[in-house]
Amino acid sequence: MKRTNILLLLFLLVVVTGIASAQNENNLKISGELLTDERLLLNEKNDWAWNENRLTLQLDKRITDNSKFYSEVWLRNIGLPKITQSSDLYNKGIIDPYNIEIREAYIQLYGVLTKNLDVSIGRQRIVWGTADKLNPTDNLNPLDLEDILDFGRRRGSDAINLNYYIKNDFSLQGFFIPFFRPANMPVGIFSNALNSTMELPQGMILKEFSDTLLMPGYNLGESSTAGLKFKGFAKGVDFSASYVWGYDGLPFVTKNTFIPVDTLGGTNINSQLSFARTHIIGADLATSIAGIGFWAEAAAFIPENDVIMTNDLSAFYPMSPIPVTQDSLILDKTKPYLKFVIGCDYNFANGSYLNLQYMHGFIHERGNDNLNDYFFLRYEMNFAGGKLKVAPIGGGFIVTDWNNIKDNYALVYMPEIVYKATINSEISLSTVIFNGNGDNLFANLKDYNMFMFKLKYSF
Amino acid sequence: MKFTISKALMTVLILTGGILFANVQDTSSVLKKMDDVMYSPKDMTGINRIVLIDKNGKEEIREAIMQQKGTDKRMFRFTAPASQSGIAVLSLPNDVMYLYLPAFGKERRISTSVKSQNFAGTDFSYDDMGAETFSNEYTSKLLRTEANVFVLELRPKGRSDYSKIIVNVNKNNYYPELMEFYDKGNKKSKEAKYTFIKIGKYWNASEIEMTDLKKNHTTKMQMSNVKYDTGLTDDDFTVRKLKR
Repeated sequence: MKRTNILLLLFLLVVVTGIASAQNENNLKISGELLTDERLLLNEKNDWAWNENRLTLQLDKRITDNSKFYSEVWLRNIGLPKITQSSDLYNKGIIDPYNIEIREAYIQLYGVLTKNLDVSIGRQRIVWGTADKLNPTDNLNPLDLEDILDFGRRRGSDAINLNYYIKNDFSLQGFFIPFFRPANMPVGIFSNALNSTMELPQGMILKEFSDTLLMPGYNLGESSTAGLKFKGFAKGVDFSASYVWGYDGLPFVTKNTFIPVDTLGGTNINSQLSFARTHIIGADLATSIAGIGFWAEAAAFIPENDVIMTNDLSAFYPMSPIPVTQDSLILDKTKPYLKFVIGCDYNFANGSYLNLQYMHGFIHERGNDNLNDYFFLRYEMNFAGGKLKVAPIGGGFIVTDWNNIKDNYALVYMPEIVYKATINSEISLSTVIFNGNGDNLFANLKDYNMFMFKLKYSF
Repeated sequence: MKFTISKALMTVLILTGGILFANVQDTSSVLKKMDDVMYSPKDMTGINRIVLIDKNGKEEIREAIMQQKGTDKRMFRFTAPASQSGIAVLSLPNDVMYLYLPAFGKERRISTSVKSQNFAGTDFSYDDMGAETFSNEYTSKLLRTEANVFVLELRPKGRSDYSKIIVNVNKNNYYPELMEFYDKGNKKSKEAKYTFIKIGKYWNASEIEMTDLKKNHTTKMQMSNVKYDTGLTDDDFTVRKLKR
């Protein structure tokens, strides 16, 4: 009897230990990082340009052998207090601005129906493209332009994402995003960085400006985004071809209504903005030749309809029996525009790293006539066994008119030093110097040269 | 007299040639046996604990799960420290390598120039971490025989960061005990000490201690929970698995 009890106890112990061990493996894993990001303008007063304290929480749980849950949440103090009246002192959100953001939260199922099919459902980031951070084919998730210097950042989308693997070297991806969400625009000192300037006719003085944004209707036909991608590997080359039926996440001005308010030329303007349904055909490749990594990526953007901007001047001609309008063609549906990136990188034996990219058409540029040329370069050196990383050369050269470079260029210089203070924390010191002439994104930032401090702690 | 000299010379030449041939054959068979010891399992899974020791004796520890199939497929996934957790490297035949960085959410093809760089801050280069057999990559010459080891000199057949490697091969079990790596200037640059234990029918390098003599920095790679021949397939060494 005693012997039977001992055996039973041992059996229970083995079972319980087994369950405990299985539970350990399936436990919710919490990881993440703390980021402190402070930026100071290099102007006379050294104004603070950016303040962000971000706690990223990553929750990861294996549900079964063939499924998992993943989520990434940002808890942030961001921005500087904008207190203008005493009542603001009663609002903690104004004194100490904060926000919470669910970047991703999805379930991933492996081998659904067939062992070759993986499905992810929920808010997720679907990353496309072989280029480095600047990816013309990466158009599924909305642009997150909050920090204009964090190129290529996008928000997660609520989506269903299917990946079917054909043998090991080929796959077919299909996805569906039911709700359109536009890009969010830069904040803080960068808030006007992407706004184009409006030239008014001679004698007209802008008094008030307002706008109306027309969102696509929230129904299956209007708000959906869908697409396909075929990806493969052959003869040492990774390649893909893709198609997206989606929206350009940045709105176009489709109508300006001019209303005179006085006899001195004072005018109020109301702009109507809307989003253009766009077909995007993309392709990319990556390979390594003679030790050098090469990549190329291109996307052709084809608007479903012509994008026309109408200036309505009827209020100036009250006696006219018909509306007085002027139309300008912004995008011609018969003339796709092509954005592309080619780049290469090389790792030197001494641990240093060189990365070069040429890009035609930045993230906010649309239409063949508005695409500019960007050359980016970064050279990094490692010291003290990788504890210290120095990037003495980093930045870009931008040309907006090759016929008159002197008046239409920008230079961005971004040297950086990264010190790994402990195994899980690193401190980064960098500066950004903008210079240039003409109307382009980076030349317009030349009053915002800054010093940046970042601390990142991973846990 | 002439005939006798010629005959004697011929005999010497034949004998010398025979000895030389025997030497080459012996060393290549020793090297082949060493490869067999190191790479004979069909596949392997294990936990790799990496201890980095700087010149002041300060230690830094990393952990990774390692999977390997044959001599040319390997997956390396970091589990610690937190700053590197989730970073994974997939090595495939013909120098095809992918890096997965969770922060970017996508795989990235790595240029082959990375092979000469140190792997994840260790004293091993990506090339050292490769699983290509020594007999494929090097020619061998027997330098001497010591009490317990054959001392071989390996010269690269193709491009390499090393001008030569001197390896001490255990006479009884044919695993390497010590490797000395010489740079292009023929100066000893690195040294690896091996500790092998037998797990089932295979010899396992339970610890490799690699010292970079120029930097005075040491890396210990310690393997535990090693499982052999668990039936890993080519499907386990794909970009799909890398991103999981």
